[in-house]
Amino acid sequence: MGVMRLGHVRLRVLDLEAALDHYTGVLGLLPVHRDPDGTAYLKGWDEWDFYSVILVEADEAGIDSFAFKVESEADLDRYREASLGHGVAVAECEAGEVPFCGRALAVTLPSGHLMHLYAEKRFHGKATGNLNPDPWPDGLKGAGGHWLDHVMIMCELDPARGINKVAENVAYFRDVLGFGLGEQVVAGPDGDVQAAAWMFCTTTPHDIAFGAGPRAGLHHVSFFLDDWSDVLRTADILAKRKVKVDVTPQRHGITRGSTTYFFDPSGNRNETFAGLGYLTQKDMPTITWTEENLWRGIFYHSGDVVGDFLGVYT
Amino acid sequence: MSGHSIVLAGVEHVFACSDEQNVLSALSAVHHRAIRSGCHGGGCGVCKVKVHEGQWRRGCMSRAHVSAEEEAEGIVLACRIWPESDLVIEAWGKLPARLARRAGLLPCEADT
Repeated sequence: MGVMRLGHVRLRVLDLEAALDHYTGVLGLLPVHRDPDGTAYLKGWDEWDFYSVILVEADEAGIDSFAFKVESEADLDRYREASLGHGVAVAECEAGEVPFCGRALAVTLPSGHLMHLYAEKRFHGKATGNLNPDPWPDGLKGAGGHWLDHVMIMCELDPARGINKVAENVAYFRDVLGFGLGEQVVAGPDGDVQAAAWMFCTTTPHDIAFGAGPRAGLHHVSFFLDDWSDVLRTADILAKRKVKVDVTPQRHGITRGSTTYFFDPSGNRNETFAGLGYLTQKDMPTITWTEENLWRGIFYHSGDVVGDFLGVYT
Repeated sequence: MSGHSIVLAGVEHVFACSDEQNVLSALSAVHHRAIRSGCHGGGCGVCKVKVHEGQWRRGCMSRAHVSAEEEAEGIVLACRIWPESDLVIEAWGKLPARLARRAGLLPCEADT
């Protein structure tokens, strides 16, 4: 019973064909469906549900919504009641309102982001099948991303006005959805402002992360790769295709991930991320980073302050 | 491919930019920090400029950061304009970073 995993993200892009070329050619996602208006659905080769990324053309970049898959319909009933009890707005969506999914809940998070919870999605299958499979399929393009791994959203934080949507989201995901808090950054003169958080429903350090900024938005969507050499190879692909690179390959202190960051053609930040970090369980003590060590946590090798890594987002 | 001059208000250096190169990349190529370099895709809004003189063509840019009214006044994102003549431009607003610094939690680089 409970939330299983991040199911999909719906991204707003300024030029749909350019975005589709990027997400298939650079990230290596597989296109599975187009709506009559062009809206594109894609999946990672290692995923079994029908899609994990929706690209929708819009006049603003950013994240339109994201969704988590829960185990059963009964979970939806339970989360609806618990959300309302927590003071979080929830609306019912009939089957199909979230494309190719069953009945869903539309949750407006404290940060203002729209999140869906659903229990059923059309099945597609892994590219390698599930009977005596090979370890990877032929014909992958670009980075060959395995799956949508996590999303990091930016949440409004203004201690002077008593606003901390990071902390409010953490409380909702912990108390209502049963997520664990893997890591956090605490800041402010008294070290009591929760300025970032990494939370999990699987056994990896994060399925969703919350960062602090002056407005709500998308920091990045991340796709899983096997290992460090895959991250390096992705960086080669970025250079070959003249993709705007944000962060060259390196290690995060926070989550221990091997990583490289770049932007899609609409400026939405992508990450390819390798390694499972470490095992998380609900009883694992939360790892805390203090404000003066924030940048060592983000860029472990250099510890350099790169303000634009937090200040630039869609 | 023809070259154009980009004059940035308050900066002595005159930048060279071909008509196949977006204005931000011309500025970034010489590591000039008068205009912030962000996503290079028209989505994040940090490279906002006002074009005072010259002609350009535009690519997609987010309406979250440039309204139709602003665009009509020549306020655009430097990463999404390509010069068709010499240009005179001015950095326009740095709101996202300034607000972040005001929160006192994000140690950003100093203004230049």
